[in-house]
Amino acid sequence: MRKIIFYAPLALFLALALFLLSGLFSDPRERASAIIDKPLPNFALADLMQPDKIWTPEALTGETFLLNVWGVWCPTCNAELGYLTELRQQGVNIVGLYYELPRDPAFDAPFDLAVLQQDVALKLQQQGNPYQFNMLDLERSLSLDLGVSGAPETFIVDANGIVRAHHIGDINPQVWRTKLAPLYQQWSQP
Amino acid sequence: MRALLLCGLLCASISLMAQDILPFDNEQQRQLFNQLTEELRCPQCQNQNIADSNAIVAVDMRQKTYQLIREGKDRQQVLDYMVQRYGDFVHYQPPLNRYTLWLWLAPVLLLLGLAATGIYRRTRHSAERDNTNPANLNTELDQLIERYRSKKP
Repeated sequence: MRKIIFYAPLALFLALALFLLSGLFSDPRERASAIIDKPLPNFALADLMQPDKIWTPEALTGETFLLNVWGVWCPTCNAELGYLTELRQQGVNIVGLYYELPRDPAFDAPFDLAVLQQDVALKLQQQGNPYQFNMLDLERSLSLDLGVSGAPETFIVDANGIVRAHHIGDINPQVWRTKLAPLYQQWSQP
Repeated sequence: MRALLLCGLLCASISLMAQDILPFDNEQQRQLFNQLTEELRCPQCQNQNIADSNAIVAVDMRQKTYQLIREGKDRQQVLDYMVQRYGDFVHYQPPLNRYTLWLWLAPVLLLLGLAATGIYRRTRHSAERDNTNPANLNTELDQLIERYRSKKP
């Protein structure tokens, strides 16, 4: 009994040290997503380049795809465009969800779709175009329903329209290899 | 003249601030809005609530909270709406479940452990106090002397 009490502080200290050590290697941005294994929320968003076309969840079912939240204003999103384009060439389906910035009526010019289309076309021409198409989330309503906290973020949506993964941050070769590719392959199986 | 200018500048800033104030149907709604925006956590800048943060997502969540309150939703409905989208993470008061149970249990267990150690030490002390009995001490002393002598060549 004495021995146990003698070593108790050391054991407590070691346990605390291990706990804090594991904290050093954890990613504070990593958090459980509430959308996993749930169907896509209901939405009706216009196509960014052809505003007459309206996309709904039903129109997106049939094949597993990546839903990539991005914007030309976001440097990290622009940096990942090149690698995403490579993925598209390897046969990965990628749909863009364009995350438009809120506008301050006192400082910003009113929203102009033609200007945005030009900016996007230029950016995709420079960096590569990984997208089959882009949906314009002007009010960020679908983004809010998906639990998006910023750009870039990427979801894996399976053929039945169920969200299977939610990645916060950019996609680079390492993230794709270790985290997303296995899930994409798993949910692409018929 | 300078004082007048200063006064004018101050008034200008006050009227600018006034534009930011949101209209509510009643005082209750305003209080609910203030309470909720302080309790909801910004998912982007993680140690700020959505009232303090100006991240895009915090602005959107503030707006949504405002909209839901104006629609007549109560506190729990707004919280459910946000938790459904951003998880338990988004509320500064975590719910009691099997993952968070330890937050409440750990302090109680530590306190119990401390009390148990205290009681153990106290009983041991009183047990040791029996040794101060002169008769016991004498026999112990005799034993020691005996052992010492037997070791001598």
